[in-house]
Amino acid sequence: MERGIVLVGLNHRSAPVEVREGVAFANGRLEPPLRRLVAVAGVAEGAILSTCNRVEVLACGPDPAALGAALPGFLASEHGVPEPALAGHLYTHTDREAVRHLFRVAASLDSMVVGEPQILGQLKEQYAAAAAAGASGQILHRCFHRSFSVAKRIRRETRIAERAVSIGSAAVELSRSIFDRLADKSALLLGAGTMGELTARQLLAQGVGSVMVANRTFDRAIDVARTLGAMPVPWDRLPRYLPLADLVIAATSGEEFLLPRAAIEEAMHERRHRAMFLIDLAVPRALDPAVNQLDNVYLYDIDDLEGVVTQNRGARAREAAKAETIVDAEVDTFWRWYTSLDVVPTIVALRERMEAIRRYEVERSLAALGALDPRQREALERLTQAIVNKVLHAPLTALRRHRADPAEAFYVEAARRLFRLGADLQELGPSPRSRQVPDAPPEELGEAGAERPQASRRGPGASEERSARSARAPDGPPGGEAERESAHAGRRGPGASEERSARSARAPDGPPDEFDEDT
Amino acid sequence: MELGLLRLAIGLYLAGTVAALVGIAVRQDLPRTLLPRLLWAGFVAHGLSIAGRSWTAGHMAVTTFDEALSFLALLLVAVFLVVQLRRPLVALGAVVSPLAFGLTLAADAVYRGVRPLAPGLDSAWLPIHVVLSVLGDAVFALAFSASLLYLVQERRLKARRAPAALRYLPSLETLDRVNYRCLVWGLILLTLGMVSGIVWAHTAWGGFWSKEPKLVLSFVIWGIYVVLLQGRMTAGWRGRWAATLTIAGFAVIVLSLVGVNVLGLGNHGKAF
Repeated sequence: MERGIVLVGLNHRSAPVEVREGVAFANGRLEPPLRRLVAVAGVAEGAILSTCNRVEVLACGPDPAALGAALPGFLASEHGVPEPALAGHLYTHTDREAVRHLFRVAASLDSMVVGEPQILGQLKEQYAAAAAAGASGQILHRCFHRSFSVAKRIRRETRIAERAVSIGSAAVELSRSIFDRLADKSALLLGAGTMGELTARQLLAQGVGSVMVANRTFDRAIDVARTLGAMPVPWDRLPRYLPLADLVIAATSGEEFLLPRAAIEEAMHERRHRAMFLIDLAVPRALDPAVNQLDNVYLYDIDDLEGVVTQNRGARAREAAKAETIVDAEVDTFWRWYTSLDVVPTIVALRERMEAIRRYEVERSLAALGALDPRQREALERLTQAIVNKVLHAPLTALRRHRADPAEAFYVEAARRLFRLGADLQELGPSPRSRQVPDAPPEELGEAGAERPQASRRGPGASEERSARSARAPDGPPGGEAERESAHAGRRGPGASEERSARSARAPDGPPDEFDEDT
Repeated sequence: MELGLLRLAIGLYLAGTVAALVGIAVRQDLPRTLLPRLLWAGFVAHGLSIAGRSWTAGHMAVTTFDEALSFLALLLVAVFLVVQLRRPLVALGAVVSPLAFGLTLAADAVYRGVRPLAPGLDSAWLPIHVVLSVLGDAVFALAFSASLLYLVQERRLKARRAPAALRYLPSLETLDRVNYRCLVWGLILLTLGMVSGIVWAHTAWGGFWSKEPKLVLSFVIWGIYVVLLQGRMTAGWRGRWAATLTIAGFAVIVLSLVGVNVLGLGNHGKAF
């Protein structure tokens, strides 16, 4: 193929934060770098993805190898970083792997916290920037749009984003099992350290009504209370304030238990046994484990919360495996469309189509004309061939002229649509050939999966399918859906569809992982 | 006809049970929106069945054992649907639907046809007494359902590493509140039901205390719930203890409903 998609970048696994922040692009000011990106030699289309956990440059152009070589230089020169400094941290994905990577990023399979919902929104914003700057073209448009729908499909069909995977969000999730509303609840933070402060912040963000902060040194309590918008409470008055707290977060420990069983018992009595949720983040533990035996008291220490988180992470990992299968199938679908954009097979298919029509009509005329002598017959053949050649001359010249330039994909797709060459446009229906292929993938892969997801990797089978496709009769499945989709995108502009999908992508009431990643 | 409608209702309650169970297992909207629709449909079919039967019998068809079970199921579904209007609680539906299904199935199994009413009982007191009492029972059945869920959820939270399958149960606070409201309303209805029964007995047979086993059991139930309500209001009883007492009270209700009828005790036993 004379065209390739290349992704060069680094993420939280490949590079430490010092390196990542060195090459991060400022959000909202992507246009100048995008313009410089498409100005790089060999770059036909480009897009930049930059969050605090990843910086990636995606480009499309005639020579993937040259792109792979040019993009690190672009990244380095954009930020005035010496290129060798990045060398060890960059990864390069080409073609299918680049598409797969983008799909995985969109579906949050490549995130630090797998399944976190932020990344899709960021991807959409940055794609919109690329579209607005005119950096992304037909191929990247399709690629990004597919990645959004892959992400949505994964969210719909797996439970990847359902569970709390951080201590804070696990605590919030549990408190929702205990309390109906958080707005009328108050939390008491014992110990104004970082950990406790973070958890209190998370609870506040989830709508806890009020927070009290107690610390051994009252001044520190006042400081933290001020940043949280909370109420400082003197340490020696704890017994008075404890009954007011529905949630208690203990983040400091001492020689003995901060709150012995008797203190909790007394507080419970005073609050007429309304449920109390105790979160013990301290090591060694600050709260007497025995209080969990009291009615309406729920005590979780750091290990319990870790247990919940581990359980949930395991569940997410299982869901991630399902998601990878979906990604595989979707990459295949995309790739079939992408390869159909090649000039050469299009020309072959166009010629074959015309020849088939010509032959059919000649046979019909011969049958109608009765017996012809060989010379008359040859004249008829020549005549029809000449017509076909003249008709095809202009389109084929145009196709050849734009071979391997940025407009190639446009002309190829136009030709394929105008002459209805196969149905490689979008969600191709299963081709007659592919249905008979042995060891077809299992049914549960879904519609896209039912279409031989491994096709193009399989070698002989794949090329067989391709020729079968290009030779297919005109009544193949129409590209209706694709046409509708692009017409729609054209009318409303990328921004509009962006907004729509951004809205639908927001998980209705998934666990609150908002604080975990990619900010 | 009535039997056909009843069986349709049984089928719809079964479908509702499945929808509710799926609804708490997976977090998807379809079973959640389906549940109330199925139950509404079941309620309509069921109500028409009872109405048709009352038409044939010439009095409200709530006097035989199967009719009583069926009527209890109808009102339980009605109460749930009313609560559900204010706040969708699929998990509660997962207890209520099978209860309604079981009750209607039992009613169908012990179906004995229409029987004439004992003389002197066909008065306006019949619907008043029966509707109040059975509605009270239905409300207590809902309190029982919420308490059951409460105990499950409480056990999960106390165990600290419980199966994640139960994560979508309502919060303890919600369940406890349902319990409390049902307790108040159930007690009001039970009281009115008992008073209306006593008045009715007086007008039909004269005398107030007829050594009626059902009345004795009703006093026991009433006592349990009054103590519970009192405890809740003054001593701050709530949570597990309240749930346990609610379940105990409901056990006595079931005992009185089934026992009195199966053993044929007193007028309630005879009437059915």
